[in-house]
Amino acid sequence: MDVSDRADELTVLRRRLAAMSGRPDQSSVEVRDPSAGVLPIPEALSEVLPHNGIPRGIVARFDGANSLLVALVASVTRAGGRVGIVGMPRLSLLSAVEMGADLSRIATVPEPGADPVEVAAVLLDGMDLVVLGRLGPTGSGTDSVAPSRARVVAGRVRKQSSVLLVAGAGWPGAQLSISARVLTYRHAPLVSAPTDLDSARSGYGRIGGMRLQVTASGRGRQSQSTEVELVVRGQGADRTVEMVSTTAVRPVLAVAN
Amino acid sequence: MSRRTLALWCPDWPAMAAAAESDLPPLHPVAVLSANRVVACSASARAVGVRRGMRKRQAQAVCPEMTVVTADEGRDRRLFEPVVAAVAELIPTLEVLRPGLVVIPGDRAARYFGGVEALAEELVDVVSACGIESQVGIADEVFTAVLAARHGHQVPPGGDRAYLADRPIADLALEPSLADPSRTELVDLLRRLGISTIGAFADMDVTDVATRFARDAVVAHRLANALPGRVPSGRYVPTELTVDHACDPPVDRIDVAAFIGRTLAERLHRRLRDAAVACTRLTIEATTERGQHHSRTWHCAQPLTPESTADRIRWQLEGWLTGGRRGRTQDRPDSPIVRLRLEPVEVVEAGALHHQISDGRADDPDTEERARRSLVRIQGLLGGDAVRIPVLSGGRGPAERITMVALGDEPTPQRDPSAPWPGSLPQPTPAVLVETAICVLDASGGPVTVTERGAFSAEPVTVRLPESAGRGRPACWGLSWWAGPWPVDLDRSAAGGLVARAQVLLDDSRALLLCYRGGEWIVEGVYE
Repeated sequence: MDVSDRADELTVLRRRLAAMSGRPDQSSVEVRDPSAGVLPIPEALSEVLPHNGIPRGIVARFDGANSLLVALVASVTRAGGRVGIVGMPRLSLLSAVEMGADLSRIATVPEPGADPVEVAAVLLDGMDLVVLGRLGPTGSGTDSVAPSRARVVAGRVRKQSSVLLVAGAGWPGAQLSISARVLTYRHAPLVSAPTDLDSARSGYGRIGGMRLQVTASGRGRQSQSTEVELVVRGQGADRTVEMVSTTAVRPVLAVAN
Repeated sequence: MSRRTLALWCPDWPAMAAAAESDLPPLHPVAVLSANRVVACSASARAVGVRRGMRKRQAQAVCPEMTVVTADEGRDRRLFEPVVAAVAELIPTLEVLRPGLVVIPGDRAARYFGGVEALAEELVDVVSACGIESQVGIADEVFTAVLAARHGHQVPPGGDRAYLADRPIADLALEPSLADPSRTELVDLLRRLGISTIGAFADMDVTDVATRFARDAVVAHRLANALPGRVPSGRYVPTELTVDHACDPPVDRIDVAAFIGRTLAERLHRRLRDAAVACTRLTIEATTERGQHHSRTWHCAQPLTPESTADRIRWQLEGWLTGGRRGRTQDRPDSPIVRLRLEPVEVVEAGALHHQISDGRADDPDTEERARRSLVRIQGLLGGDAVRIPVLSGGRGPAERITMVALGDEPTPQRDPSAPWPGSLPQPTPAVLVETAICVLDASGGPVTVTERGAFSAEPVTVRLPESAGRGRPACWGLSWWAGPWPVDLDRSAAGGLVARAQVLLDDSRALLLCYRGGEWIVEGVYE
């Protein structure tokens, strides 16, 4: 028997075994190509995150400017994934729509009650990405969970091969940490070169985008950071907001013919 | 055992329905046209020479004063519904072959009314009470009864074949609701073969018919021979679906209410299943001992299942019995619940609903189901309104452009998103929406407002949080850039007055979206 035949047979048998044990979605069996086991992210961020995405089955932490969070939600739903947002009633889903999100794939639990972590854990069963904005009841000020509980939830994340993104709170043992910071705001309309809002004249124009510094660090990885810019593309009703790498937004002088 | 079938035929029904709808006098000629051909006309039009199949111009040339309407099956059905209801009062089992033609299984009804003739008379009376002329035909078979109804004949038991024998062959295709579309061609072919009566066709050997003609010919041959065919399918007019339950002892605890809700849901769904319908809109009504009512209609995007019905009963009663989230006593019932009523407001044919799976992208049904199940579990934990699905809506401000609907409800936006919405905020939208009151101040520390002409009353220099008692100096920021104000409300006479938005950049490098409403500034969003 050929070696490749044997490998294929092994894959089939493993898959069947996984189906029998009731875990057909387990990525360790299904996925061999590492880039297939990630949640898609905006292309501009591919430098800082391995495999061009957030690896499935991990708990990640998020801090800082929420535009990046919205962009992540948008890119996951645009690729057909499902997103649950727990305890973040203030997150603007309209900005997600502007970045191309598919709203029918988003479910929100704005008031998750006394135990938001439990709600997020239940949602992990059906969603590809669960964004958890709060760890305790409203006004309790809880900003971390017990390590023992975190391990249980992390196990569930791994089993369901989804991603839990904890926003603005601590999580013991998070494998990945992403943070974003607003560097400058862009002034619109663009006249010649992009203008920063600080140097713009008051009473004129409007906010046309922003520059973010995104930093990602994880276990066994060096912390890496990049600069991205949110720009508005298109005209009229079709205007969308895109996240582009700062090197790409420099105006390129195209010469006719 | 012989069986009797009654056919009730309302002549020229499409024309009658058209005349009834446009309130024409009974003798005014009417013709119904489809694709420029007359498909039905009233008796008065026929008297002057209008025929089926005529072109519009031809028909109007024959009868210039005739009213011409286009065919509308919806209208025919709608206006026929009262007739069906009236007949159903008399005999509950009936089958509507098409608007204007009803067949009724006659044996048992005839026994009840003391003879088929008495039943026929009764039927004609009931229909004429609706102001509609009709004829009844009685025979053993459906097809024969329908033909007999056109002439008001009564065929003696077992006499079907003899009755049909002398009828012209074209009668086989006379009733479109009982004939295959290819029947006309068959009739034409038979006529060219020299077979001019149904009897002659019936005399042919069935093997010869089956080997020489299309499959429909065998069906036609059976009809011609008056062999036992299908009986009128007794459609019961939809029965009462509402479930009414008197609670004894009266209910004042949630767990008891939830338990009753479960049994009621089972009962409701048994009824729905028997009627072969599914419910998409359900009204749940509770009445207390002192006569207080609490009613809510649940709109659902998907047909309700027994579990989801029980959940909705529980959520509604839980909300009422505990006085909602605010726990206010005046919202609570004044006495225990004594009556529960489930009324399906909108039902659909079971199996008629096909759900669109997110913009046509084929999803793995398994993943879809897992996602749904996890969301329903959250709903079970936290209540019906806990899980919310965003829907893009129309509007100008960032908050009003997303409508949140509870999972399972119909995803209808509050405002039409495809309307133009002049003055809506341009992209990008702030990523965080807040609603915090704030004071905008000018250089001398006086408040900045928006004038009637849509401009700042003075140049804004600082913003600060409103002063509150018991705290120190409120936080204050300088503005390093501002733009606006952009008035958004076109109707300034409306309540609340002028609405305008402005963008500011604080000196600690945070950009805010401010909204001026009713003379006050609020922070509406943070660009971050």
